[in-house]
This record gives sequence, structure tokens and C-alpha cells, in this order.
Amino acid sequence: MDARLRRVNKEITDCKNDKASNVQIELIDNSPFHLKGTFQGPEDTPYEGGCFDVDIVIPEAYPFQPVKMKFITKVYHPNVSSASGAICLDILKDAWSPVLTLKSTLISLQSLLCSPEPNDPQDAEVAKHYMTSKQSFNDTARYWTHIYAGGPEVSGAVKGSKVTQDDAEQDEIAMAGLEKAHVDQFESLGFPRSKVIEVLRRLNYRGANVAKINEDRVVEELLK
Amino acid sequence: MQLPFEPPASGPGTSSEPANASRPPIVVNENTDISQLSQAQLYDLNQNLLDDAVPDQPLIGPLTSMSTLRAEYKEGSRSFVDQIDYLISQGYVSIRRARGDGDCFYRSLAFGFIENLLNSPQTDVAVAIATSLLESTVPMLEEAGFQELVFEDFYEVLLSLIQQIDTPEPGGTTLTSEILLEAFQSPEVSNSVVVYLRLVASAQIRNNPKEYAPFLFHPEIGEPMDTREFCEHFVEAVGKEADHVQMTALTRALKMSVNVAYLDGRSHTGKVDFVEFRDPDSQLENNPPITLLYRPGHYDILDERTAEAL
Repeated sequence: MDARLRRVNKEITDCKNDKASNVQIELIDNSPFHLKGTFQGPEDTPYEGGCFDVDIVIPEAYPFQPVKMKFITKVYHPNVSSASGAICLDILKDAWSPVLTLKSTLISLQSLLCSPEPNDPQDAEVAKHYMTSKQSFNDTARYWTHIYAGGPEVSGAVKGSKVTQDDAEQDEIAMAGLEKAHVDQFESLGFPRSKVIEVLRRLNYRGANVAKINEDRVVEELLK
Repeated sequence: MQLPFEPPASGPGTSSEPANASRPPIVVNENTDISQLSQAQLYDLNQNLLDDAVPDQPLIGPLTSMSTLRAEYKEGSRSFVDQIDYLISQGYVSIRRARGDGDCFYRSLAFGFIENLLNSPQTDVAVAIATSLLESTVPMLEEAGFQELVFEDFYEVLLSLIQQIDTPEPGGTTLTSEILLEAFQSPEVSNSVVVYLRLVASAQIRNNPKEYAPFLFHPEIGEPMDTREFCEHFVEAVGKEADHVQMTALTRALKMSVNVAYLDGRSHTGKVDFVEFRDPDSQLENNPPITLLYRPGHYDILDERTAEAL
């Protein structure tokens, strides 16, 4: 049996026998080299109560080469691409060591959710949001956890969205981490809502940044 | 042990890996502003450069004459040529090259260690001493907190290579220089041995923090580092070069005698400084020391025998 298979088998068995770590590994298809990892969002973070799935691919030269991991569950986090789930974490790249296992790597992902590294982002827009307003970022991350990871309902809804005449539209704004009043303001000028959301998100129209961004600049972007 | 999977009938490596949904490839030309690339793109770029820089150089090469190394410096620095001539005059007529992948110190040392045992006048004694030494590293690794499942495969590879010196493999032969070289050129065997030595070095540092902590500095920014962090990032991680601390730790843990010749082109006299690593309790003292050649950022093995004499 080749070294990679022997090692992966041992790791899966070890993970099954360890009930304390709260990390699960299971098959995605019939290959032992394509797996799904699952863990709970850490307590006291906006990810609390969510359940996060990770796609795991064991490369040919494992364990001498790092395992490939990306989030299947959508996550709002500076070091995770909100579109593809790609993860920026040193141990998945040049700090990999064969002493790391699937279980310990998943636990590292769990810790990454506790401690974002906005200075080494995977998703630049999310990182900007995090740097601009921690509060607003947390609201959005919590909302994503609720929508995608089965986390608890966000109490009192997201900031600035108390009026709930149209849930779908509310979602869209909360998803983007924006305030309803801001979206309404530019929508009332005749721009389509989705375009307004896209531009405001790109401009990081949040918190203290709002005062720094001239309305004309927003309109200019909307007209492009 | 009941394993969850049997090997796939089609052999390893045939699983269809999903396309890596990551970044588009970077095209670098004279208009590229490196400062505009993201961390992730820089990482990819660097990996590509590294891959290009390490083409088909074997992990460990055959014994070749020092004159080939001399020829490479002939157009360059005179002081390097003088130092190479000095080494030849001291009897180091041959060099065995290791691939420049950041693992070269560990790989060279491991090869030299096993080759020394193989050439020992009393191989049975040498193998017995080396085996008990190696066995003593298992509790060491456990004490350092490594899970058995992460190191047992690597341990077995190294142990079976050493035992093959005296005990033929089932249906095979005992170890020869050729078989040893072939083993070290096979990535799976070679890298298993490298990783095991990294873990031994790390365990030695982790288990004796008072002794090593004052010498643990970040290799790039020079700041003091926490023992665990240093070991994770600069001892256990794949491809991270060894510095004096790792070399001291490893040679002590395995009670090795190692000489390192510093070929740095800085000597005015053309001489080469040798740094000696000795373990006070070495039991393999009858064996000649393993001699490595250091050039900035890289290690190879020096040998007093010619390729023809092998």
C-alpha cells in the first residue's frame, strides 16, 4: 500500500475515534483522497452556532505536500474568499509540515475563524470591511453564518434594516454588509438596487468611510 | 488493523482532483509591477520560480570529482577557486550533491550517516549502536508531543534502511552504495528520512528549552522566537533550511560527529574553516566524521574517495 493511502487511513481512523475534538471527516465520493471535513464555528465569534464544511483534497505527495482545503460553506472572513471558499493560511502553503494532520489542520481553520489576519487577506473587500468597522463586519459575518451555516437567527436583524417589507431585498443588503438607508438613498436616484449594492460594497461604504466618500464619487461609479 | 480503504484498483494518484478553484495564473513581463500582486499571487510566483530553479537535479547525486565544482567557479570568484583547491589538497577530492530544496542539510547528513555505517569496519556493531540510538528517539518524539501516527511511517523507513545493512530485505539483498543512492533518490524514502530527522531535531529543542531557547531567532527578521513557534516554522516545516541551532540539536540527539567546511569565498588565505559538531558521549567515535560542504544557503557531502574507488 502506498504511503499516502496508509497515512490517510490512519488519520481517518484516528479522527473517528476522537470524539473530543468535534471535527468530522467523511468521504465525498469513493476516493479516500477527496474528503469533507466539518467543524463547529468557535464560541464568542460571529461564526458561533454555525456548522462549516471544508473540501479536502489529498495531493499525490501527501504528507510531504500540504493538503488542499477550501470552504464548501460560504464564510464571511478576511482570509477566506467569499466567492470560492479559497483559504489564505500559512500551513496550507509554505509552513506545511508532515506532522500536521487533517484533524489538526481543520482545527487550525477553526482557530483562523477566531483570529482573522486582515493584513494578509484572501478576500480584499471583506478585509477592508473588517478594518473599517468591526461591529458592522461582525453583523455581516453573523448573518452569513445564519444563512449558510445554519447559525442562529440574527436578533433584531442587521443594523439599519428594521423595516421588513421585503425580506429578499433586506437579505441582499445585509449579505453585502451595507446599510439600508445608504442603498435606498442611491436607489432613489434611479439606479438599480443590485448595481447600488455592488458599487457600495466595492467602495467599502461603511462606518467612518461613508463620510470620506463623496456622493458624486458614488454616482460616478454607478454611471460606469 | 482494519483500514477503512483498500488501495484503489487503478493504483494511486488516479483520483480526479477537482480543479483548484483559485487564482488565475500570473503572467509576469517587463510591465508587471510586483508591488501590485497579492500575497497569494506572490506565493504562486515564488513557487513557480522555485520549481524552475530545481529542475531535474537528483535529490542526492552520485559521487563526482571536485574538479567539476572548480570548473563552475573558474569564470567567477578567484577566492572560491582557491578554497576549492585547498579542500582538494586536504584530501576532499569528491563531492556528492544534494538538491537545493531547503532539505539539503538533513538529506546530506542522513545519507552520510547511513553510508558511514555501511562502510564501518564492523557493520554489526555499528548497526546495533545506530539501531538503539534510533529507538531512543521514539520516546523523545512522544515527549515532545508528536503523535505516533505522524512519525511511525518515517521512522520505519529510516530504521529498515539501517537494518538492511546487515539483514537482507525479504527476497532482496543487503544494502550497497548503489541501493542506498537509489533509495535516497526516491522521493518517498528520501523525504521520509528527511522528515524524521527534522522531527528528531525539533524534539531535541522542544525537550531541552533552557538549553536552546536563547538561540532561537527568526531567520529573516532576527527577533527572538518562542520554542514551539520556532520548531513549527523552521524545523518541522518542509523545505526550511537548517541553521546552527538545528544542526547542533540533531547531531547531539543522534550523537553524530559532523564537520562542515565553509566555502564562502571570504578567506584571504584561501583556506577553508571547518566547524565541528561533536557529541561528548558519541559511541560511534570509531567512525570518521561526516563531512559536509556549505556554500551560502546550501549543503552537499564531501568525500575523500574518488568515484572510481567506489
